[in-house]
Amino acid sequence: MEDQLIDRCLGGDHEAFYELMRPYERAVYFAAVGVLHNSADAEEVAQEAVLKAFNNLSKFRREAKFSTWLIQITINEARMRFRKDRAHLYESIDEQKTDEEGDYRPKDFADWRDIPSEELQRRELREALKRALQSLDPKYREVLVLRDVQHMSIIETAQVLGISEGLVKTRLLRARLQMRDALAPGIDGSWTTGRAEFKKVRPW
Amino acid sequence: MMIEISCVEVWREISNYIDEATDPELRDRMKAHFKVCKHCSAVLDGTRNVVRLIADGAEFEVPASLSKRIYAKLDSQLRKS
Repeated sequence: MEDQLIDRCLGGDHEAFYELMRPYERAVYFAAVGVLHNSADAEEVAQEAVLKAFNNLSKFRREAKFSTWLIQITINEARMRFRKDRAHLYESIDEQKTDEEGDYRPKDFADWRDIPSEELQRRELREALKRALQSLDPKYREVLVLRDVQHMSIIETAQVLGISEGLVKTRLLRARLQMRDALAPGIDGSWTTGRAEFKKVRPW
Repeated sequence: MMIEISCVEVWREISNYIDEATDPELRDRMKAHFKVCKHCSAVLDGTRNVVRLIADGAEFEVPASLSKRIYAKLDSQLRKS
């Protein structure tokens, strides 16, 4: 089906491109948000990615999935935007592609029992998640969004980001643990489940 | 006899454990560790919750009419040609 749409598009049928894109609109936007975490910039980058995909469709090699190729374009556009916005900083989102150094040590907050999302104020939760995601290094946030939001496989994620599967797993681990550490303090105050209070166990 | 696993090793594998992507022997060793280590058990619960919350999509609202706006630049190019 996708092959037919691509052929039609390459034959000049522009409507076929919109049809081809439809299942991936959200994925493109979320991929951009994953890098930039600013919805206005993400939307602009998504538009650029769509345009780029259209203009370069003849270069798409059908060995890979169309969605993988499309999300790769999006991530690259988002990274270029990120670099442009932060040209004055020395931070780089695609510096070493080697294994991350050292083990990440998650904080000891004592038990964090199940906090069902329906028990939390939706807005409060959304804000907390947003802040936690913003606090992540972009290279971790990218992986987290592709794996845990877009539910891409490890292999696909590695292909999109141009890194090894091992590095995807390492970055995913760090991203998840850092998110957990960023969100867990909420149990001390604003979020309760109505169960027994959690004892604070802090190393400091 | 099961070889004990350290907390550091557990943290290293906890993401794979959540994804059920560890080999069975390692999985059993980690399970045994979670039974006796409160901190690691808390880390597991917390990280699982995070993955579930993110997958819920609570944070990821799609802007209204994204479906139209995402094609803005393409539409503009096609109009000019």
